[in-house]
Amino acid sequence: MRILLVEDEPTLAAQLAAGLAAAGYVVDSAHNGVDAHFMGDTEAIDAVVLDLGLPQMDGITVLKKWRAAGRAMPVLILTARDGWHEKVAGIDAGADDYLSKPFHMEELLARLRALIRRAGGHASAELTCGPLTLDTRTHRATVDGQALALTSHEYRVLAYLMHHQGEVVSRTNLVEHIYAQDFDRDSNTVEVFIARLRKKLPPRLIETIRGLGYRLASPQ
Amino acid sequence: MNPATLRGSLRIRLLATTLVWIAASIVFAGWGLGSLFRSHVAAQFNAELGTHLDQLTAHLVLDGQGRPTLSVPLSDPRINRPFGGLYWQIDRIAGPGMLAVDALLRSRSLWDQVLAVPADVPMDGEVHQHRIAGPDGTMLGAVERAVRIDDVSLRLIVAADERLMIEPVSRFNGALWLALGVLGLGLAFAALLQVVVGLAPLRQLRRALGRVRGGDARQMEGAFPAELMPLVEEFNSVLTQNADVVERARTQAGDLAHALKTPLSVLANAAHGKDDHLARLVVGQVEMARKQVDYHLARAQAAAAVRVPGARTPVRAAVDGLVRTMQRIHAGRRLALVVHPTAPDLLFRGEEQDLQEMLGNLLDNACKWAASRVEIHARIDGDRLDIGVEDDGPGIASDQREAMIRRGVRADEQVPGTGLGLAIVDDLARLYGGRVTLAESPLGGLEARLILPAAA
Repeated sequence: MRILLVEDEPTLAAQLAAGLAAAGYVVDSAHNGVDAHFMGDTEAIDAVVLDLGLPQMDGITVLKKWRAAGRAMPVLILTARDGWHEKVAGIDAGADDYLSKPFHMEELLARLRALIRRAGGHASAELTCGPLTLDTRTHRATVDGQALALTSHEYRVLAYLMHHQGEVVSRTNLVEHIYAQDFDRDSNTVEVFIARLRKKLPPRLIETIRGLGYRLASPQ
Repeated sequence: MNPATLRGSLRIRLLATTLVWIAASIVFAGWGLGSLFRSHVAAQFNAELGTHLDQLTAHLVLDGQGRPTLSVPLSDPRINRPFGGLYWQIDRIAGPGMLAVDALLRSRSLWDQVLAVPADVPMDGEVHQHRIAGPDGTMLGAVERAVRIDDVSLRLIVAADERLMIEPVSRFNGALWLALGVLGLGLAFAALLQVVVGLAPLRQLRRALGRVRGGDARQMEGAFPAELMPLVEEFNSVLTQNADVVERARTQAGDLAHALKTPLSVLANAAHGKDDHLARLVVGQVEMARKQVDYHLARAQAAAAVRVPGARTPVRAAVDGLVRTMQRIHAGRRLALVVHPTAPDLLFRGEEQDLQEMLGNLLDNACKWAASRVEIHARIDGDRLDIGVEDDGPGIASDQREAMIRRGVRADEQVPGTGLGLAIVDDLARLYGGRVTLAESPLGGLEARLILPAAA
């Protein structure tokens, strides 16, 4: 899952980036409104953590521009201005949730998980596909109750496929969601991760759709 | 009327000065006209007496025995009617300097009385005036003259009842004072009318101010006389400035919150996850600092807000915005948020931000605690808004409800920000002259009711 983190205060941005990365997310950072708008508009982002007080273009304006352009990724607003007046304005601008500073990292992660889950139409924090279960809170994948040992990249690929069960996910799409923007992307590595996952998962769970990409679906 | 009332009312000042002036003018005019007429009548009276005396002198002759008699009777009918009010009498003067009051000849009107004129002898041609007692206890004005005919010295007296002079004067005075009284009343009425009409713009001013105070207008509106326009314009600019100050205070408060909370976030995140004494201290203190900032921020904003007159906020729009927000923020809880139909024109007399702050906290609490359902209703009760937020959660035991609200009353003694934010809501409501009450909801959970001033 790829998160766009928009925060202008460098120390807080670094803390948040570290916290998000530790939770298994791929993090792209923007430190002003204009960069944030461009990245959210052009990159494949799964969710945004958006500070409202930003240089160059304020967060509400950025959010409104995204929504006007049809960008529907979940947005969690992060701000010190936490009056209900500001919250209503933020939600009406298109935000999905609101977190007041100062906050606990766990709270941020929990809200973010819930947003991503709801965006994919999942009600529970545990995603299942046949015998496979993925707990988005603990990052544990189990098959028939047996825990799988996954590397962080394998987890990211699996989590993205689980959130988009039944859909065909292209190789480029996967690359975009498991690597940060400035990473040297090589779509061939995706094939390696898929191959490793197939060895750890029950057979025929991940299908290859020739020329299009992969699909995770329960065999029946 | 005490001096304070006199100083305190323009109307009384204007009326009192005008009425005193009117009364003084009328008394002076009445006295002046009255004495003028009185002296005129007195002169006429004396002139008439003189005429009668001349007539008496002209008709006086001596008969064969040397007794005085009148060649022609005097014509005035009052002279021939007993006690008719006009009298004459002729006395003989025995010798030079000697007088015998023998009333040789008298008018018929004197009947059996004699005019008792003081014994003095006017020189020839002199006319003396006297005031003497007449018949029936009346007072008479009298004139006398000495005449000599064929060596007979005589004194001729003509007298008239003073009532002949007093009656026209008192009749005139009666009419005069009546006329002056009517004039005075007319002037007083005109003065009252002038004060009422003249001061009408002040009442208009008060109404315009009342509309601002009552939240029906943000500025004083209407056409005022040139003398009042500067006042109205000054006042309107003060109102505008006041609104600007409040807006600036809000912005500054928001900036302060932002300036404080971002470093607090950094601190909290840095300390988080470490389990030593310092980290626990930092986490605890950061949390406390956050609550303090929130609490005092809300109070500062509210205190600024209620001083802005003319603010009014549609309740329905605020509720709808908050319900949209709650549905997003509590999306995971799949709650039914039901807004009972309220009159679309319910208005809160105050700032939108404050209404959102109060309702937001109540709704957020309800959404946090509700099992499946939150209901909102709003109605107007006289000049009060009554907004209720109910949930079907566990509720609060009746003996703890008061404490939940009271916690904010003495902020200096309590930890602010605790108690579900109800303390802040109650503080805000009280600043507006309203209150928060908690009760058990028919839904099973808590019912929080917010009583606030309504705008017309």
